[in-house]
Amino acid sequence: MNNNTILEGLHPLEIKLLLGLPQEESLTAAAIEAKLGYNTSQANQVLSWLAQKGLVREAARRTIVSYALTDLGKDYLEKGTPEELILNSLKNGPIYVSELAQKTGLEQKDAGSSFGQMSKKGFLYVTEDKHISTKAADEEIRAIFVTPKKVLLQRLSSSESIPEDELDNDARALASELGAKRGSARSPIKILEREAVTFAFAPEAAEIRSALQARGVTGDEIGALTPEILSSGEWKNRGFRSFNVGAPPARVIPGRKNAYVEFLDKLKDKLVSLGFEEFDGPMVESDFWNCDALFMPQSHPARDIHDVYYVKNPTHARKIAEPFLSRVAAAHENGWETGSLGWRYPFDRDFTRRLVLRSQGTGISAQTLTRARIPGKYFGVVRCFRYDKIDATHLADFYQTEGIILGEGVNLRTLLGLLKMFATEVAGATEVKFVPAYFPYTEPSVEVHIKHPQLGWFELGGSGIFRPEVTEPLGVTVPVLAWGLGIDRMALMALGLNDLRHLFSNDLEEVRLMRRS
Amino acid sequence: MPKIEVNRDIFFKQIGKKFTKDKLVEVLECAKGELDEVDEEHGVLKIELNDTNRPDLWSSVGLARAVRTWLTGERPAYKFFAAGKGKKATPKKRIIVDEKLKSIRSYIAAFVASGVKVDEAGLIDLIQTQEKLCGNYGRKRKSIAMGVYRSDIIAYPVNYTAADPDKTRFTPLGLEEEMSLREILARHPKGVEFGPIISGFKRFPYLKDAHGECLSLPPVINSAKLGAVEVGDASLFIELTGTDLNTLLLACSVVACNMADSGYEIEPVSVEYPFETPYGQTIVTPFYFQKPVSFRLSEAVRLLGDKIAASEALACLKRMGNSVKRGSAKPAPSGAEGLTTGGAKSADVFVLQPPPFRNDFMHPVDAIEEIMMGRGLGSFSPIQPEAFTVGRLSPREEFTRRAREIMVGLGYQEMIYNYLGAKADIVGKMKGDGTDLLEIANPMTENYEAVRNSILPNLLATEAGSANAVYPHRFFEAGRIARLDPSENYGSTTRVFLSLFVADRAADFNAVSADLSGLMYYLSREYVLEPLDDPRFIKGRSARIMVEKECVGVMGEVHPQVLEAWGVQTPCVAAEIDLDLLRA
Repeated sequence: MNNNTILEGLHPLEIKLLLGLPQEESLTAAAIEAKLGYNTSQANQVLSWLAQKGLVREAARRTIVSYALTDLGKDYLEKGTPEELILNSLKNGPIYVSELAQKTGLEQKDAGSSFGQMSKKGFLYVTEDKHISTKAADEEIRAIFVTPKKVLLQRLSSSESIPEDELDNDARALASELGAKRGSARSPIKILEREAVTFAFAPEAAEIRSALQARGVTGDEIGALTPEILSSGEWKNRGFRSFNVGAPPARVIPGRKNAYVEFLDKLKDKLVSLGFEEFDGPMVESDFWNCDALFMPQSHPARDIHDVYYVKNPTHARKIAEPFLSRVAAAHENGWETGSLGWRYPFDRDFTRRLVLRSQGTGISAQTLTRARIPGKYFGVVRCFRYDKIDATHLADFYQTEGIILGEGVNLRTLLGLLKMFATEVAGATEVKFVPAYFPYTEPSVEVHIKHPQLGWFELGGSGIFRPEVTEPLGVTVPVLAWGLGIDRMALMALGLNDLRHLFSNDLEEVRLMRRS
Repeated sequence: MPKIEVNRDIFFKQIGKKFTKDKLVEVLECAKGELDEVDEEHGVLKIELNDTNRPDLWSSVGLARAVRTWLTGERPAYKFFAAGKGKKATPKKRIIVDEKLKSIRSYIAAFVASGVKVDEAGLIDLIQTQEKLCGNYGRKRKSIAMGVYRSDIIAYPVNYTAADPDKTRFTPLGLEEEMSLREILARHPKGVEFGPIISGFKRFPYLKDAHGECLSLPPVINSAKLGAVEVGDASLFIELTGTDLNTLLLACSVVACNMADSGYEIEPVSVEYPFETPYGQTIVTPFYFQKPVSFRLSEAVRLLGDKIAASEALACLKRMGNSVKRGSAKPAPSGAEGLTTGGAKSADVFVLQPPPFRNDFMHPVDAIEEIMMGRGLGSFSPIQPEAFTVGRLSPREEFTRRAREIMVGLGYQEMIYNYLGAKADIVGKMKGDGTDLLEIANPMTENYEAVRNSILPNLLATEAGSANAVYPHRFFEAGRIARLDPSENYGSTTRVFLSLFVADRAADFNAVSADLSGLMYYLSREYVLEPLDDPRFIKGRSARIMVEKECVGVMGEVHPQVLEAWGVQTPCVAAEIDLDLLRA
């Protein structure tokens, strides 16, 4: 630490000590208390701070013993010491040895040891018929066995603790005899030991002292600025204490948007900025809108019971809106009026009413077609459900981002232009590659692969031009571009995660700490 | 999407040249194929094929044909399809179909392939073709099953019959002992796997030769005697059975073309039905059944967005293996491949005759896509969509965002949760009765068996797992719930809820009530609180949130019986508001 850093970080207590005591002064907490009026904890604290800064050094160290009263000691003062209680009960004449504990109210052990001490010195004895009797006057025995102890206990009760050098030799010997380190339930006195350290100023303290004097710092500078200081104008006559601006700040727990939701917000805002209008729909969908309207044959493998969540109750929608149902059914059976051969199988009008948890957002795109403006651009970031084992890359429910563009002038090349725009605007891609793909509801179909600055090459999304078997039964005769983007990997990257499950984390601390990387 | 293992030697030999890995990736685009992996040790290319309607590509030979045709513009002619035409003699080899099969497994197609000794690589590719055709395209043998036999030990004609499953016995491939058809279903591994397709019928499909010797029990297992094909065999009888005639005929044509490409001579077989089929009572297989597709070049230009000359369109379509003519369509006589056109020629009209191994042309757009594929997607340059449209968020999203902003300002951490959960959490721990719960009929695990009807279970789960996070805990979610609603067409409704949660030593009703008041003020909604009796909350410390005499939500101190169920030991207060109702 250089002197400037030290100077900036000095506390008023340190400043006053440095300025108030000469360089050669021997520093102890007691001396600081006496000379500077600090309390004990301030005195100890300031020495510890200065030692950390290297401005004072330890010069000597000794152990100071002091004594304090225990709960048992307080008990003795209140009810009498064991010796006192024995002598009290002997006032009314001798008592049987066997009765001693009971008559005095002492425990057998305490009664025995107190009697033992007094009899050893010859003041009490046991007669032949097992009585305890006294050999000296009551006052004489009390003067030896009761009074000194009570005086000492009385003295200790007057303060929290008393250092041993404040006691005379007899009292000190007695305290040591009665005491136990760290206190014991069986001792009336607790022996306390602490290290008393004497410090001396280090040579660096002299430099700091001069610097303080040169700067005119007194230690009386303003700490917390208060309304009172402002209204009284006191600040005009005093300087301000410097704070340690490098000290680690306290943690705050702010109100915050969820980092993943914020990512989705930004995505939606981006799509809105590109002229797309948001669509929405219920979590439960009929097989009709989820698949049939998209010209997926009813025997399509992706419609298997093991790929879609079916609703338990009710199992079927009451009705499917006409004329869409009849037209879609005809499109499957014979192509309806679209010029298609259709899938050429009998369309099951019961199966189409079956209710599922939406497995893809494209069903909402299809419903949007029935009320879409031309030209029109629509999008949705919608929760979908998939019958999948849950792991780092698969969730039971998750978001899909997709949409449509309708217009007389849209075609394969505008589809590629749209995908390129997504690649650069939404994903920040540096390179784009188009690959022909297959989807049951679009023809042609295109996948877009992008080179992302951090993730490298990956598939950003699938797209295509809706088949006429999809659009015409829903009343749309212009071409419709349909697209879907896989934004999960970008979300993980943006949040510095590698497991999709963490996007929907249950852990408050993890969510509090999550941020854009 | 089917993934196949291509024998690199067969593949390159069929194409007539070898490719580097990069070039291979490039040319596979013409088949919508992606190279997943090159296994150098076994000389195998692992390729994923994206088009689920192109089973002709699911073998080394078939995929090689597509690449070769795309590179050279020439596809092999398969003359054996002409056999069905009247001028050729009826094939000598015949299959007689039993009338009882009509309601069991109606159709069969077959041919004989000879002239090449089967080698190991060819056998492996044949087996892969069979597996992908029958497993993937044939829906695990339900609509297509295929059997291969040694033709020279079969006595023709073959009989496709419906046999008594208990009285008919033969030794199945892979086992030593003769057993009844029913025993095979119960004891043979293939019987266990594929038996359920036929076990519900009184009689089982059964294929035997003129001497009564068993060929197989379709779609389950071949006989050990006639149906054991080995390396070195030079003459094979191949049959396919199924329920959908077009699917079956296509599969038969795919296998026949593949074998023809491998050098086999294909000898058609005549199948004689006692009932009518869409193609008559006698069908000579392999059979060409595809219909021509006509489209306008102007339509292709409109959809693809690029100028395409007629000659270029013709070349592109040819590279994809199609026969194509200009003029109005007039289908070729049924059964024969090839195209005849007639009528007035129109410069704009193209008529495409699909190759015999494909049946994925339903609409003119499918033909137009062939032009794109033939020319290569890379030859189309991107252009920006031009039409001006106004972008906007949904009113629901706008309102939700407004509420979320206020919650964040009030010092709450936003959460986002999965919507599926366990009934034990959504109903049990919340002391609810579950009457409005939207349940899944086919849950995969008990962790995901219902859609949540409230956000509170998610919030409590967070609190239960976050006792070590610094207090106070203040968090919320604005998200969807679903619940049963008999007035809806779908019997349920999806709503946007906002739920907020405070957990702290000092959390009480009044603190959250103050936050609710702040939220409602900035949403410009007047509300009053009325006492609530709800097992989730402490009675006397919970309330209904009323806006214009309608209940839009609830709030209160969470009842200790709920906290106990979740293992939470900190006082919690929560509120839940239906944002859709509040927005209305």
